[in-house]
Amino acid sequence: MLNSLDPRVNRLPQINQSISPKAPLDQFGTFEVFVQPKEGKSFQHEGIVHAPNLELAYVLAKEAFTRRFTCVSLYVVDTREVFVSPMTEGNNNAYDLIPESTTSTPGNQSFEIYHLAKRGKQHVHVGTVAANNPEEAMVHAREKLNTGKIVFNVWAIATEAIRFTSEEDKELWLTLPEKKFRDASDYKGGDKLKNFLERTKINH
Amino acid sequence: MDHTPLKELLYKMADDQLILGHRNSEWTGMGPLLEEDIAFSSMAQDKVGQSLALYTLLHELGESDPDTVAFTRNANQFHNCQLVELPNQEYDFSLIRHFLFDTAEALRFEMLTRSSHQPLAQLATKIRGELRYHTLHANTWIKQLGSATPESISRLQKSLEYALPFALGIFETSLYEKELIAAGIFEGEQALQQKWLAKIESILSQTSLQLPDLKLIQPIVGGRQGKHTEHLQPLLDEMSEVFKIDPTAEW
Repeated sequence: MLNSLDPRVNRLPQINQSISPKAPLDQFGTFEVFVQPKEGKSFQHEGIVHAPNLELAYVLAKEAFTRRFTCVSLYVVDTREVFVSPMTEGNNNAYDLIPESTTSTPGNQSFEIYHLAKRGKQHVHVGTVAANNPEEAMVHAREKLNTGKIVFNVWAIATEAIRFTSEEDKELWLTLPEKKFRDASDYKGGDKLKNFLERTKINH
Repeated sequence: MDHTPLKELLYKMADDQLILGHRNSEWTGMGPLLEEDIAFSSMAQDKVGQSLALYTLLHELGESDPDTVAFTRNANQFHNCQLVELPNQEYDFSLIRHFLFDTAEALRFEMLTRSSHQPLAQLATKIRGELRYHTLHANTWIKQLGSATPESISRLQKSLEYALPFALGIFETSLYEKELIAAGIFEGEQALQQKWLAKIESILSQTSLQLPDLKLIQPIVGGRQGKHTEHLQPLLDEMSEVFKIDPTAEW
């Protein structure tokens, strides 16, 4: 048995273990991360994080997604709160595939609406509608936010489910611009490789 | 003007950041989940960056260049508190240390935004975004795990009790307290400790963790005078390995 002050060493798997069933994956749930690249620009979907709850998802998303480039704000929401329309391609508008709603009342809950304008790109926030549920939110979005331009996919998220950035938390992105080590380009990997190759050429 | 008090302050702060930055970086690739690994590694890198900024201030006051200062001193020439040099152990201890130290660090820099030494005041203002993240991260985890399961609570409680005497060593009285306060450079370790205590009490009161009576705890001091545990020298040896092989190496 290894015994070290470094817990990583103590956690190394034992070599002489008996045959045993594979341990199940132990994973937290996922949360969707949206980033605002600049003041005045729309929020866009950036990716997901695993976290035990919404607040920690916010904390972990900040470093996972906004360390290496500048942005002004981000927010997170539980993946299960994201309602997704049918996905289309070609000249088919996702809004045309949304089932008609039975009610025409405006509703009293606020929903954020996102469009996927290009396959392979991110969903971008396009507006807010009031509705009673996500299905109705999509119907209202079709009336209010559908410009006729092809949309391949629509998302609706209840506003109250989102963990937003407060005004004072925006200080989080006040980092030092001279900290170039945060940019991959600062490590000049290509230059170093080129120099090395040139050096070895001369030697041979 | 005699810069000795100011230099002593800058050295202990820079050494704290460098040593804890290095310790925390030992979690890189080993964190409890990928997202946390990224966040903890990022903060470790922030700390090393902050130490560089502080060593640069010292360089401007006539000390050697930052690399020489960071990589060529022996343990007894370091002024960090002993809390930051302790081995990482399990994640509960690393989190508790992160919480106890970063709370003090953020408050110290917040006080220093009003320092009469302008370059230090400017640095303190510049890095407040980073420090805000570090305390947000620490407080959120402590609030989560400090009220989650019997195991998480008892682990954190045990680590808290182990770390507290060392944490009180952060505020070891300087030989130059009076001079620093009189010159308006820093409001002093005692003032900092009071603010720190109020802050950690307010966070811990939102959890199932119990803050022991600090009056009954003997602070572990000496780090500021170069007295260290057996754990610092091996850390320095590892950190300066490349520099010692080739001081001109760039990587």
